[in-house]
Amino acid sequence: MLNENFAALLLRVIRIIVQIGILTIFYYMGVGIVSYLHIPLPGSVIGLLLLALSLNFKIIKVEYIQDGAGFLIGILTLFFIPATVGVIDYPELMSITGQLIILAVIASTLISIYVTGQLTQIIEKKELAKKESTETTVEEGKGELSVD
Amino acid sequence: MIEAIVVLSTIIMFILFTKLYQRFPHPIMIPLVTTTIVSAVILLVFDIPYATYMEGGEWLQKMLGPAVVALAYPLYNQRAIISKYKYSILSGLIIGMITGLATIFVLLKMIGVEASWMLTALPKSLTTPVGMQVSETIGGIPPLTAVFVMIAGFVGAIIGPLVIKYGKIDSPVSRGVAVGSASHGVGLVKLREYGEQELSVGSLSMGLTAVIGAFFCPLFVYLFM
Repeated sequence: MLNENFAALLLRVIRIIVQIGILTIFYYMGVGIVSYLHIPLPGSVIGLLLLALSLNFKIIKVEYIQDGAGFLIGILTLFFIPATVGVIDYPELMSITGQLIILAVIASTLISIYVTGQLTQIIEKKELAKKESTETTVEEGKGELSVD
Repeated sequence: MIEAIVVLSTIIMFILFTKLYQRFPHPIMIPLVTTTIVSAVILLVFDIPYATYMEGGEWLQKMLGPAVVALAYPLYNQRAIISKYKYSILSGLIIGMITGLATIFVLLKMIGVEASWMLTALPKSLTTPVGMQVSETIGGIPPLTAVFVMIAGFVGAIIGPLVIKYGKIDSPVSRGVAVGSASHGVGLVKLREYGEQELSVGSLSMGLTAVIGAFFCPLFVYLFM
């Protein structure tokens, strides 16, 4: 019994590692495309798009990446902690300019929420009016993004 | 040696702070914030240079690329919502992107900051991993971008509900798009309390904003700076 559980766990760990390998291949394809075409975009985002398209057109089965992707997303925050700690090299953030920029970020975010919410509401009413009598509930989204 | 210490201690702190956050789920308590603050304090108290710390830190950072690629998975899962509210969500996201970029640009121009600050603040509404990578791409300072990203998130989670209430943003889709596009994952913490629809649309909006923003931010810089 114990051996069976252990085998299942081992299999799961191997599956996650192999799937992270697949995600890494997509990442390097994205990096390759960006450096080959000299476009100012993060390679990771191009990799994300390639994977989303591959899933959508059934080039890659979702089973091939879902455990690895779920695992990485679950601990996504961990990977950018080292970079955020880098803030200690920038005491300028505490200067008057730094504080003003923080206020600007706050104001910009509030304006964005208000304007986007209002306009989306108007557009949504038009879209729903066009669709006549379709049900109004959204299907529950699986695999929601992690909180960061 | 230092590599192993940094990697292990970061992972252990991260696990402990994740447990703490599950008990006290307030936006201020998210593991990124707590782990970063404690790590930063340790470095400052023991006078350890950031470069030394990064000898280990870069091992964790190397996983960031594949982790961003992994975001394709939840986006793929939510394709049903996209097809249902195509026009509302997509046009809402583009409105959100333009409003966010235009307002921070104008405000920082009014303050009169240097270009490097501008490039650092522009990706503030993108989820942290993508925001930092976009910041690096356009010539900003990624760790500072992360700070602005977190602030944008806190604003959405803490003051966002007041904007939704007094601004009469009443439909689940518009709430999700508004908060997801301006305040990414941290804003989602609060959206969860409104309901499943808000959360799904918000989570989708955060993912698509990251993708759209990766294209829009460099374009915006090219056009206006």
